[in-house]
Formats: sequence, C-alpha cells, structure tokens
Amino acid sequence: MRVSASPAQTAPRSAAPPGRVEIEASCRAPLLVLFGGGVLWLFIASLFALVASLKFHNPRFMADEPYWTYGRVHAAHLTALLYGFAVPVALGVGLWLLCRLGRAPLAAPYVAALGVVIWNCAVTIGVIGILCGGGTGFESFEMPGYVAGLLLAGYLLIALCGAVTFHLRAAGRLYPSQWFVLGALFWFPWIFSTAAMMLLFMPVRGVVQASVAWWFAHNFNTVFLGFAGLASIFYFIPKLLGRPLHSYHLAGLAFWTLALFGSWGGIPDGAPVPAWIVSMGVVGTVLTAVPLLAVALNFCHTVRQDLNTLDANPALRFTYVGLIFWLIAGAHQIVGVLPHVSELTNFTWFAVAQKELFQYGFFTLTMFGAIYYITPLLLDKERPPVWAAILVKWHFWLTFIGVLISYLALAVGGVGQGIYLSDAKYLFPQIMKATLVTLRVSTLGDLLIVAGTICFLLNFALLLAQSAYRCWADYGAGARKERR
Amino acid sequence: MNSGPLLFLGLFVTMACSWLTFVMGPQLQIGGLTTTTNIIVGAIGQDYPHTEPGAAHQGAEVYRANGCASCHTQQVRPAALGSDINRGWGIRRSTAYDYLFQEPVMLGSLRVGPDLANAGRRMDAAAVLTRLYEPRAITPGSVMPPYRFLFDTRKIHGAPSPDALQIPPQFGPPPGYEIVPRAEALALAAYVTSLHQDGYLFEAPPPPGKTNAPPSIVPVAPTNAPAK
Amino acid sequence: MSPNPTTKSMPRETAEPSVGFSAVPIWLIMVFAGLFYWSQIYLSDHAGGFDKAVYVPFQSFQDVADNNPKSEAGLEMAMGADVFNKTCSACHQPNGLGKDGVAPPLVGSEWVMAPGPNRIERIVLNGLTGPITVKGKDYNLTMPPWKDNFDDKHIAAVLSYVRNTWENKASHVKPEQVAAARKEVHPGPETSPELQQMPP
Repeated sequence: MRVSASPAQTAPRSAAPPGRVEIEASCRAPLLVLFGGGVLWLFIASLFALVASLKFHNPRFMADEPYWTYGRVHAAHLTALLYGFAVPVALGVGLWLLCRLGRAPLAAPYVAALGVVIWNCAVTIGVIGILCGGGTGFESFEMPGYVAGLLLAGYLLIALCGAVTFHLRAAGRLYPSQWFVLGALFWFPWIFSTAAMMLLFMPVRGVVQASVAWWFAHNFNTVFLGFAGLASIFYFIPKLLGRPLHSYHLAGLAFWTLALFGSWGGIPDGAPVPAWIVSMGVVGTVLTAVPLLAVALNFCHTVRQDLNTLDANPALRFTYVGLIFWLIAGAHQIVGVLPHVSELTNFTWFAVAQKELFQYGFFTLTMFGAIYYITPLLLDKERPPVWAAILVKWHFWLTFIGVLISYLALAVGGVGQGIYLSDAKYLFPQIMKATLVTLRVSTLGDLLIVAGTICFLLNFALLLAQSAYRCWADYGAGARKERR
Repeated sequence: MNSGPLLFLGLFVTMACSWLTFVMGPQLQIGGLTTTTNIIVGAIGQDYPHTEPGAAHQGAEVYRANGCASCHTQQVRPAALGSDINRGWGIRRSTAYDYLFQEPVMLGSLRVGPDLANAGRRMDAAAVLTRLYEPRAITPGSVMPPYRFLFDTRKIHGAPSPDALQIPPQFGPPPGYEIVPRAEALALAAYVTSLHQDGYLFEAPPPPGKTNAPPSIVPVAPTNAPAK
Repeated sequence: MSPNPTTKSMPRETAEPSVGFSAVPIWLIMVFAGLFYWSQIYLSDHAGGFDKAVYVPFQSFQDVADNNPKSEAGLEMAMGADVFNKTCSACHQPNGLGKDGVAPPLVGSEWVMAPGPNRIERIVLNGLTGPITVKGKDYNLTMPPWKDNFDDKHIAAVLSYVRNTWENKASHVKPEQVAAARKEVHPGPETSPELQQMPP
C-alpha cells in the first residue's frame, strides 16, 4: 500500500508514517554496499585477529614474510575492524535512522553510494599499505597518510547526504536517535582530520603526538562508536517493544554528558605528560558515570518486565545485549581509570579487554541487530525476504559466548599480569608464561566470533539470493502476463 | 532541542572543549619545548636531549613499519606508580623532554614485551640482532616473533663475514652458512641501542635520601613450572 | 500484509517509536553534582596547578622544587647515579650484580666496601686486568681506564654512589682523594696483586 510522503502532515508519531517504501528504496543502493562491504571487512578483520592471536601460541607461525609479522597483522586487524566494518555500518544505520525518523528519503543516494565506494577503496589501499610496512605506529590510526584524503572525501560525501536528509526532514520534534546520529556524523571528521594534520602531515613535536593519538582513539571509541550504537539502541528497543521511550529529558542528559565527558580521556596514568592532562582524563572518564546511569535508568523503565518478548525478535535480542555490554564496558572503563586500579592494570590486557567488549560486544552486536531489521526492508519493502532462523540463532549465541569468553579471559588475565608486573622479582618471561593461559582462552573466544560472523555472512548471502530469485520470478511472471 | 543549527552549535562547543583540553592545550604548553639545560646532573655543558645519529632515525622507521609498538612501550613510570624503575627499566620516569626529537613518538600501550625506553643501557647491538633473529635463543619460551626477513642466510665463502651473528648452534644456520643482518636490521639495532633517558631533570628528580637504583634482588630463576 | 521483517514468527512492522517526558530523577542530578564536586577536588589535588613541570605523582610546582636535591650529598648521589647509569651499568648491570664473563658484582663486594677508597679509585682511574677474586668468586676480565673521560668530581660521585646504594653503606669519597690517586701516574691497568699491597 503506497502512501506518498507529505511533509505538511502532522500525524502523531505513533501512527505509521507515510512514504516508507520510498524511504527504503532511496536507501537501498548505498546501504546495501555499506552493510555488505562492512560485514565482509568484519570477516577479514576476524581472520587477521585469529592469525595475530595464534602467533602468541606459536611465534613462528607465518613469521617468515614481513607482511604477516605480528605488528602489521595486528594493525591490519584493527584497521579492518574500525574503518572497514565499524564506520561504514555506523553510517549505514545512521543514514537509515535519519531517513526514517525524518520521514524523508535519502538525499542524493548515488552520491552516498559513490562515497561508500571511495571509502572502501581507501580502506583497501590502507590495509594493504599497513601490511607492506606503511603503518603509522599510532593505535587505531594506523593507515598511512596517503589514504587520509581519500578516506575523508568518501566520508564527507556520505555525511553530506545525511546532513541534507536531516535538513529536509518532516516537521516535528526530534527523536533522540537523531541527535546521536548527527553527533556521530560530526565527530568523526573533526577527530580524524585533527589526527591526520597533527600526526602525519604537520607532525607536532614530541609527546604532544601521543596526547593527540590517545585523544583520537578514545574519542573514536567512546564518542563516535558510542553515539552510533546508542542511536540504534534508542530507536529499536522502544520500537520493537511497542512501548514509548521512558524519558526524553534523560536521553538529553545522556547525550550531552556523553559528548562532554566521554570525549575527555584515554591518557594512561604514568604517561610522560604533565599531570594535569592525565587528571583531566581521569575526571572526564569518571563523570561518564552520569550518561551510563541516565541510559540505564531510561531503559530500565522502558523495558520493565517485557524481557520475554526479547526472545521473539532477534533484532531486539542483539540490540538489548549490545546495550548491556555498553553498560559493562562503560563501567569497566571507569573502574580502570581510578588511580589504584590503573597503577595495577596499566599496559596490561585489562584495557584491551575493555576495548574488545566495547567494539565486539557492544558495537557489532548492536549493529547486527539493526542490520537484521533493516536489510530485508531495503531489499523489498512489500514482501521482505526472510532470514534463516537457525543461522540467526547460531550467529547470536556464537558471538555472545565468544565475546564473553574473550572479555573475561583478557580482563582476568590483565589483572593477573598487572599483579606480577608490579613485583620486580618476577622476570618478564615468567609473567608471559603465566598470561599465556588467558590468551589461549581468548583465542578460543575469537574463534567463536569468527564462526558467528561466518553464519551471518551465509545468511546475508542467502537473503540476497532469495531476493534475487524473487526479482527474477517476478520478472518472468510479468513477462508471461504481458504475452497473454 | 529540535533545531538543527542549535544542535550543531552545542556539539561544536562540546567538541571544542575536548579539543582545547587534549590537543591545543598540550600543544601550546609543551609543543614548543626545546632542549633543556635544567638537568640536575649530566654530562658537563650538554643540553638534553641530544639528537641521535642517522642510522637510529632509519631504525625508527623499521620499528614503526613492523609495529613493534604493539607489544613494547617506551615510557618509564615513576616509582610511585609501578615497578618500572625497580626492574631496571630506567633510573627515573619519562618526561616530555625525552621525546623531543623522536618522530613518530611510539609510546606503546601494552607490555607484552619489556619496556624499551632505556634499552640502549641494557643491550648492545649484537644482543639486539640476536634477539631479532631468534628471540628464543636469549629468552627461552619468548613469544616475540622472529624477524628472519631482516637477515640474509649466506654461504660462507672463505672467511666468515665480520657482521655474521653469533648464535647458539641449535638456532643457527646449517653448517657452511652464516646469518648476516641486512641494512634494516642494523638500522633497527642502532635505533634500539640509541634509546636511553639519562640524567635527572627538574621534573624528574631523584627521591631525596636515596637514588632510584633498582634493588639488587636476585630474581626468581625462571623454570618451566607455572608461576604461582 | 507485509510479513514480519525478520522471521516468520514475528509480528508486522511496528510503528515508529514514541517518547515520554518523565523528568530526570533528582537523585541522578545529585549524583552528577556530587561527581562534579569530587572532580574539582581531584583536579585541585592532582592537576599540579596545570603547570608543565609537574608530573604525576607530584602535586604542585613547589612539591617538585622541594623534591629536587639541595644538599651537596643529594646532588652528589644524583650525579653518581647518572654516571653509573650512563657508563658503568652496561657491564656491572643496573642492579649492581654484575654478569659472568662481563663484570664482577659491586653489591656487597669487599673491594667496594673497603674502609677507604684507595683501591677502587685506582681501578676506576687506570682500569684493571688479570685475575681478581670478588665475593669468593674468581674473575679474569679487563676493565678500561676512565681517567680521561671523567673529572675528579664525577669519579668521586660515582664511587660515593656505588658505596652507598643497594645494600652498600660506606663512607663517601671526596674529589681530593681521587685527585691524589690521579697524581700517581700509573701506565697501564692495575692488577689485583698490586692493589692488594696498598692500604684500603
């Protein structure tokens, strides 16, 4: 049933908005490439992660060629995960949310699609560049300088489409997800261009480089990925439960405090920078307890006892678990920055565990929830194709258990490593031996995550095949009708 | 909060706060540091830090390209925050002055391997090269990967090369062959042996009454038994 | 009607989410205010006055200045530590325990801990070669001379440092004592039998 968009219409928000078919149709090209490419990159990133992980158990594994040495593979894994998967998928879900909530089709979708292609080319060149020895040496920002311009150009094309779509939105109050998406769209180019200028093109002197690099990595994770994931969570949980979001004001508080305090942090405790920089980071991170509480409260009241409906809808299940992981990762970050804890756990696997939970646990699960919901609608709004339920189930459980195992192993291992490190009578080789057990367990977790991703890829391929078959069948039926 | 421009303005102000604190603030305050003569003791009449020879700069590129910073840090924490000084990883904590001439500054964030800020005081070039070729020759059970691609295995013609590595035979090349480091390996060794953070500074003085000498503890001998 | 978007057992696509307007609970505002208050106290204690010379764990510029050695003895120990770190630790190791085939230990060494510095100042000035017994163990190594690299003040400082750090405790060495030893020109390195003939 086609209903044309009517910006003057002030239908109450709870009624089905008009023109959804056009919205979905307009998003189709860029979003399919964003999601499809993104998940392929996730698979590649998981493979890199597995190779890197295996090298801890056999250092000679793939060590004979410079391309596969641990330092390069690790950097390639992070780049593929963050720039190949995380940013594109965040953009895809973000654009879709702007369209849906603004009740406007995506502006200039083919410009956005071009942007996606440029972005993916840049990331491919970047990852190959890292494997060939062009890595920058800054964590989360390893791609060589020659792709920075291309990357930013691709991003800006996509972001501009989003901004124009937002501008052309239907009248009405903004929904919290829209603030989060706009925040994310705006944050990334600023932090990325700052890092590119001050680290690569006009490098600053000395330890200021480290401060900028830490600031970038922290903002990328906590603010950019956080905003992108929360936008999806704020949309899907109330929508799929059929209940209103509890409080607009709490959402507002969470948004502004996360923007303000979440962007201060990332400086390790004993870093060779003046004390005030470290302390500002500590203060900012501890104050992120406020958005954490605001979000937890908001959803506590929204969800109430409706937990049994979570089982009915995988998109809801993924999103809800993503939210829980966001809360745990946020709490972990606050605990990790407290002075006595950070003395113990600095430079150990403890911080790595937090990043893993945040990126694999919160972000990918939340995005998968959104992708499971959105993709069938993109392919065919009227008769969406159907995911294979068994693969969805396997995907969820493999990823959930894999993330938990990996996180717990690294967190506990990190604390143990810290305890040994803080006592000078333990020599380094002994400490490494003691932590090998936890690394083995976390490799197992990585394996489960890879397996889960394969399930999703299969499912995605099946979905596309289903849709292609229907197109072909429809075309054939239409041609037969004409001949009669 | 329904107006796009207001939202944008709010985001801009919030981002500017963070940018001013962690990017412009440090840049304005310590981005213009030059060598200091504010050292308590040190070589007579010398500023700190001094630049390193060219081979060390080339070695820094090899260090960066191979991602050594993903397992090694280059920052010594003060005695109050950790056992770095006790382990002999430095006599004092690292400060901003120590990185003035480094490009890029690869402080690292994870200690899978030991801290390297003062590696030049603990290892000579031969030790670094051996460790790069086969880490387990020096530290049994090490998880550091071997970097064999930085070396050439050559047949010995006449006399062995003066640059050839002296490695224990079980890790060495077949008889009649020698391992010779390539230019990249030599540059990397020059870089690692150039890493040191000397002298007490005003910002990092020795603790009153005692110095930061690592205690002369006999370390617990490494065994294959799992550490308690 | 359009079937469920995900699996067959799902209900039809639901409406867009709506939002309620409950107020922010007062206790959350109080938590925010409390944390903000804590943060100001934390910054006043730990931000070092936003001074670029104040590093963790110092709390203010005055704190750093107070911790800088002012006494002669303090400056001397710092100088000795620096010389030791730059030059001696390569062979004698940062923890003073030495290394087999490289250098004998200095911790608890009867040579280092002798009542006077006569022997060790000569070892440092002129070098040492040939067999020597330290803490019951025999060594036969060569130590280079350092008289052309350091002046009396620095050699006295490093000797004082070595005699007063780790578990060692002995008298400080004065530059004049080193100067007197330097005056006796001694071609070539010392040997253990020669040194044992002189008073410690």
